[in-house]
Amino acid sequence: MDKMLRNKKSIAVFMLPAFLLFTLVLFIPIIQSVYYSLCEYKGMTAPEFIGTDNYKALASDKTFGIALKNSMFFLIYSCLTQLIIGLIFAAVLTNIQAGRNLFKNIIYLPCVLSSAALGLLWMFIFSPSLGINQLLEKLGVDEPPLWLMDTKGYITLPMWVIAFVALWQYVGQSMMLYMAQISGISKSLMEASYIDGCTKVQSFRYITLPLIKPMVATAMSLNAIGSLKFFDLVYNMTEGGPNHKTEVLATHLYQQGFKYFKYGYASAIGVVLLVLCLLITLFINKVVKTEQYEM
Amino acid sequence: MKSSTSFGYEEATTSGKKLSAVKILIYVFLILISITYILPLLWVFNVSFKTNREIFSAPFALPKDITFDNYSFAWTAGKLGIATFNSFIVCVTALVLSSILGAMAAFGIARLRWKGSKLAMTYFLTGMMIPIHCVLIPLFTRFAKLGLSNSLLGLIIPYVTFSLPITIFIMTGFFKGLPNELLECACIEGANIFQVFFKICLPLSKTGLFVTGLMTFVGNWNELLLAMVFISDDAKKTLPVSLSKFVGPYNTNYSQMFAAIIIAIIPTIIVYCAFSNKIVDGLTAGAVKG
Repeated sequence: MDKMLRNKKSIAVFMLPAFLLFTLVLFIPIIQSVYYSLCEYKGMTAPEFIGTDNYKALASDKTFGIALKNSMFFLIYSCLTQLIIGLIFAAVLTNIQAGRNLFKNIIYLPCVLSSAALGLLWMFIFSPSLGINQLLEKLGVDEPPLWLMDTKGYITLPMWVIAFVALWQYVGQSMMLYMAQISGISKSLMEASYIDGCTKVQSFRYITLPLIKPMVATAMSLNAIGSLKFFDLVYNMTEGGPNHKTEVLATHLYQQGFKYFKYGYASAIGVVLLVLCLLITLFINKVVKTEQYEM
Repeated sequence: MKSSTSFGYEEATTSGKKLSAVKILIYVFLILISITYILPLLWVFNVSFKTNREIFSAPFALPKDITFDNYSFAWTAGKLGIATFNSFIVCVTALVLSSILGAMAAFGIARLRWKGSKLAMTYFLTGMMIPIHCVLIPLFTRFAKLGLSNSLLGLIIPYVTFSLPITIFIMTGFFKGLPNELLECACIEGANIFQVFFKICLPLSKTGLFVTGLMTFVGNWNELLLAMVFISDDAKKTLPVSLSKFVGPYNTNYSQMFAAIIIAIIPTIIVYCAFSNKIVDGLTAGAVKG
């Protein structure tokens, strides 16, 4: 058997297809992308090496500044809210018996739906003349907010709206991750804490929380990468408008690359995005130290 | 288990009233949350049957008479019918290919004995951290040269590739968990390596295949950016792309757009309702391992 498992030919047959596909479609393009980001490349002509000019242009690009700011806002907002609200949902749902699956499934539902479709749906709900504003009109509000058209403030109102929709859509994911971890904690630990006189809140604070820390790291890195990659909802709710106020990195990349065909410039945005993704994953795994307890 | 119920009973008798008050509060909270989840969907569903004028004159009433005109318009003129078909072809093909290729590579990493297996695993895993956006431009220009832009194959290839890391990761876990004796037995009986893989290991890891299949299918079915960039021919667009194009600021017929949204999400909702527990547990199992 050992001979069979060490057979070079069969190893090649099993590994090569996936390996080749992965290298050709993922890794070589990434290297190309880094190269393009150092080039003047506008679709029709061949790429021409210009050094770091694209990155210098990025630094003075106002829209890129807004996009970076908005992406950072998404990152922080979604990491924090998903952690807190996801944990609350998970704690509440693990503490009830009747209807647990029903509520769990309802909250998880938007995670499997197309965020393109949900983005459009919420776009209508927050549009100036439909949805919420029709309801506000009925309630007698004279000047309902413009929601997605508003441009005031450092973080504009549309960004808060989109961030809320993103939370609404994806909090089920975090909740399920935490629930899976909480239900893995042994019952006897909880009982021991009750016997020692803990209230439910105390045992959550001193037993559940430390034990689900590894999952916090996992869920947070998922959230962080997800929010940096964020495209569908923004594209379908505002298309980066009004006046580029809701641009994020992904929509800016799409605009520059496939509306204006500035391939080199868009590649530079892509590289920034990639570096951010790698840094944030490292950072979260460093900060949220995973101590292993026996459960 | 027994002791916990008796303990719960003791607690309930000493502070019965307070407990039930907390319980009621919890359920009220959960019901409110559920409403924010269901109401938007119901609203769109309701409005999609109305005429355009009704939307503004009686926004919250039930539609006067139910017609499916909006739906048939969105299905044909909005090209959502073709788009659904395209999405189905692309996603099913990508699902089959990524499951087979991914499972094979996972088997190679988990079971075959060679020096580079750990390195190969790390190599595939880095793929999970890489956003699809970074490779859009090189892939787009390369595929245009190869004549793969505007073809469904040009979508299937990147979809399969981007599904590989998670498939390999989860399946490796499953293959490592299979008992060694089983493989040895098969060897003694004279099975070759492919029979061991296809007839023994794969059938025993059905759960893993189901989980990874579900994750990749859902992801690819909803994917927008890549499909939007790669496909410009109306007849080859996938569902999220056609929907985003049909529903937009330049269209003023709201009820048709609402119907289009419903068409786009209703298949997923039906499947989800039918198998919700399996789907939720499967997707979570995948994410927990990821």
